Amino acid sequence: MRIGTAKENYLHDAALFDTNVQRAWMVALAAALLVLPFISGQYIGYLVCLVLINIVSTTGLNILTGFTGLVSLGQAAFMGVGAYTVAILEINAGTPFLLNLLIAGGAASLVGVVVGLPSLRVKGLYLAIATIAASVILHFVFANWTSVTGGVSGLTMPPASIFGFELVQPNQVYWIIMPITVVMLFGAANLFRTRIGRAFIAIRDRDISAEVLGIRLLRYKLLSFAISSFYAGVAGGLWAYFFRVITPESFPLMMSIFFLAAIIVGGMGSILGGILGAVFMTMVPEILKMMVGVLSPIWPDAVAVMSPVRIIVFGGLIIFFLIFEPDGLAEIWRNIRRFFHLWPFRT
Amino acid sequence: MDWLFFSEIGLAGVGSGGLYALTGLALVLIYKATRVVNMAIGEILMFGAYVFMGFSAGLALPMWAAIPLAILVTGLMGGVIERLIIRPMLGESAISIFMVTIGLGSVLVGLVEIIWGANPQRLVEFMPSDPIFIGEAYLSSKVGYAFAIAAVVLGLFLIVFRTWRGGVALRATAGDQAAAYSMGINVPGVFSSVWVITAMISAGAGILVGSIGGISPNMGVYGLSVLVVVIVGGLDSLLGALIAGVLVGIIETYAGAYLGGEYKMLATFCLLVLVLVVRPYGLFGTHEIERL
Amino acid sequence: MSIFHKIAKRATAVALGAGLMVGAAHAADKKDIVLGGSIPLTGVFAFAGVGIHAGIQDAVKITNDNGGIEGHKLVYVPEDTAYKVDASVAAFNKITSQHDVNLYYGDSTAFSKTIAPELDRSGKMLMAGASFASELDDPKKYPNIFIPGPSYTDMVGILLEYIAKEKPGAKVGFVHSDTEFGRDPVEGAKASAKALGLDMNLVISTAPGGVDVSTEVLKMRRARPDFVIFHGYVLAPIPEFITQARSMGLKTKFMGTFWSMDNSMVGKMGDVADGFMGVMPYNYYYTTADNAPMLDKIRSMRNTYQSNAYMQGFFSTMMMAEAARNTVKAGKELNGANLKAGLQAIKDFDTGGVIGVPVSVKGNSVPVGRVYQYDAAKKQMVAASDWINLD
Repeated sequence: MRIGTAKENYLHDAALFDTNVQRAWMVALAAALLVLPFISGQYIGYLVCLVLINIVSTTGLNILTGFTGLVSLGQAAFMGVGAYTVAILEINAGTPFLLNLLIAGGAASLVGVVVGLPSLRVKGLYLAIATIAASVILHFVFANWTSVTGGVSGLTMPPASIFGFELVQPNQVYWIIMPITVVMLFGAANLFRTRIGRAFIAIRDRDISAEVLGIRLLRYKLLSFAISSFYAGVAGGLWAYFFRVITPESFPLMMSIFFLAAIIVGGMGSILGGILGAVFMTMVPEILKMMVGVLSPIWPDAVAVMSPVRIIVFGGLIIFFLIFEPDGLAEIWRNIRRFFHLWPFRT
Repeated sequence: MDWLFFSEIGLAGVGSGGLYALTGLALVLIYKATRVVNMAIGEILMFGAYVFMGFSAGLALPMWAAIPLAILVTGLMGGVIERLIIRPMLGESAISIFMVTIGLGSVLVGLVEIIWGANPQRLVEFMPSDPIFIGEAYLSSKVGYAFAIAAVVLGLFLIVFRTWRGGVALRATAGDQAAAYSMGINVPGVFSSVWVITAMISAGAGILVGSIGGISPNMGVYGLSVLVVVIVGGLDSLLGALIAGVLVGIIETYAGAYLGGEYKMLATFCLLVLVLVVRPYGLFGTHEIERL
Repeated sequence: MSIFHKIAKRATAVALGAGLMVGAAHAADKKDIVLGGSIPLTGVFAFAGVGIHAGIQDAVKITNDNGGIEGHKLVYVPEDTAYKVDASVAAFNKITSQHDVNLYYGDSTAFSKTIAPELDRSGKMLMAGASFASELDDPKKYPNIFIPGPSYTDMVGILLEYIAKEKPGAKVGFVHSDTEFGRDPVEGAKASAKALGLDMNLVISTAPGGVDVSTEVLKMRRARPDFVIFHGYVLAPIPEFITQARSMGLKTKFMGTFWSMDNSMVGKMGDVADGFMGVMPYNYYYTTADNAPMLDKIRSMRNTYQSNAYMQGFFSTMMMAEAARNTVKAGKELNGANLKAGLQAIKDFDTGGVIGVPVSVKGNSVPVGRVYQYDAAKKQMVAASDWINLD
């Protein structure tokens, strides 16, 4: 806790940003987000958009896994539902993109609720495996319901447009992705200041105790599935506007593992953790690529081991964080902050 | 209806089911002893197959040396994995360990790609290739021999598990860790040996699976079907793994033959969903009662 | 994997030698023409990516040694993609934001489709790639893309034409993987089999990563096709299929399409490789023919066997360079539409032996190919037919 920030009432304690310094930083961040597309090149713009999309989906999974304690390996498949919904609406109906994204979120959350239905009877490992089953079945639907999803060759869709202006380049689609990400993040952060969010946490900590306290397990577990898949659906929709081609291979099981890894590395049960995890895991391959570029003059074979090294680093990060820092990057971040806040005192 | 075709498909299904049962056994053993679902089982299996390829094709060792060596090396690796990344996780939630094994799987894939490359490979042939005919029905020789080997290993294993002292220690640990401790059983030792044994079983299964369909770094997907097998059979039931293995093998093969290859995975996972909804703890698993 | 090292060394040596002979051929004031590439140097398609990379490098080298494209130097800027679409798009964005790119090599069908709208929008580039997808063979829908060879449908068409000639009315089986790549030519194959009077009595799709093929072989045993065409595989499960079919005493002839035709991959099949046939649009590294200076040059640049992917990358680059040459010659600006016009102007182009006959571009592809058969004694694919031109 920062020196000199006494919490005088409960509202103050639950506030999202408790000091003026923090608020100032947020304003600076907002300004940076607004200026970014004007100064970034196409490549940076691309990476930023990808990171933002991953943040939305990771945050969704964090609500389900980090805050409610229900492990899911279906996040990518739910994203797929959202992406296909957006593509189908955009191609056939041509409705405005904001509406499409909402419908995509809704469709994904419906699917999420159906997948979550067994969660009252089974939990833990069994639930995780049920979500794997859901991804396999959804993948089959994407690949074989040819009349709607275009089968294995997928769907190609037109770009989003505002007032007749088409958003094609990463730096243009950014203006859809960034505001929506910000809104979704604030939504998630505020969720845990409400009864629903606290009920989720109670279920995570001990579901039977939560039930004794009067929390209806099935209702809240399904609600958690619904909210989480809504995030996935919107993220999938954004993904669709970003890439504009959706195939069944776009959302593999590996991608669900990626999101799980992101919340493990970032920090489960922390909004900041989801953000840090998504940023970190998206950037790791790029950083490795840069290292290959640096290494290749002295070690010409560097590029050949690049892909396996990436896979090893990916798995290694999961193992490392689970064993040594189960609270993830968010905890490291808090420790650093604490150090500066308390300076010159020691923790 | 072509009944000969029907029965041939059934035979092929039972054959591939034998391999599922064998790998399922490895998964159940780990779960029984350590309460860990090892998501990396498919990757350990792949690793074993690659080690075998290294010994047989790379170093050109004869079969009688290459097979035991591959199994030993993979077993050793199982022990190292247990010591390095599973032991520190003792006492953590089952879900955390589950995710650690997912990470492990990814590390193994990367290692294999670095050592042996990402290209698909074939294993050295070591099984006779004359087809087997049971009555009129044709059975692919490799599937047949693989089934026979799997059955023998399973049988031997069950006998050892029932009678040998170590097997008893393992069962005691599975039953009640604290009680086993107080009876002087070396529980960490049991954990290590379970990982070694299951890695060895997986390596054997990997060699058999690889010799049928070739090997590649993404061979680990095989583990997904095995996961279905143990959930359907019940995570803590050896008998369940055997029966479910054959069941899944048969269902998968029939779906593939009559509906098309794309329906194989769908059929297996639909079975999984059905079992989860009707009998969440599997056909033969123990229903755990939660106490506050 | 010191292959890169060797490549680099040899390339420098050749460059030095050639540079001395040609002298300062390229004028320094002419603008470089950039060939960008999303190349799968790692990942599941790495075996092809490495070959493609080497092929493009060599073709670029040879082009520049011969004075570049009408004096413009050709510059190759590759980036690894690990055969993932998002990484591929990232590579595209990175390369195009750092260079003025006019030519591009893409690594997959999905990438080609993803990037097509961007190509149309920017209107600056002509793209080829590792994909032979039939869908791309549509100049209206994909005006800035071309296929460096026949499309998958055309490949199967060439095989079927060969079969119809060998054994009219033959029974043909078609086995494909259940992926976009595998499903691509199924409908086209059925149609052309019908047109050629062949009986396609067996179509099987196999699950991706499926190991056991015995049920599929059982179906084959009942259908008893004279020929079976595999499509959508690199190696597995083709060898197992053939082994089991042989052990049942089937006399079926087995065939493959481009990506299962690499000589060293077929060699890995072991005993059953003998007699394996397939269609390949290019000559092999070791092909000896009169009037094939390009093959001699390749062999002098690299003294070990180069894969069919190498030939693919090499040929793609030749075609792109030729398109650019036609555009520059016509005095037009280098952009998507002009480059495409330049490509379509390629008529009876002599590839120096990379393809055994003069080639012409038709639509978005170069529909020419030849049927080869594996000779176990020579350990080589040898030609089993003359060059077949599809119209």
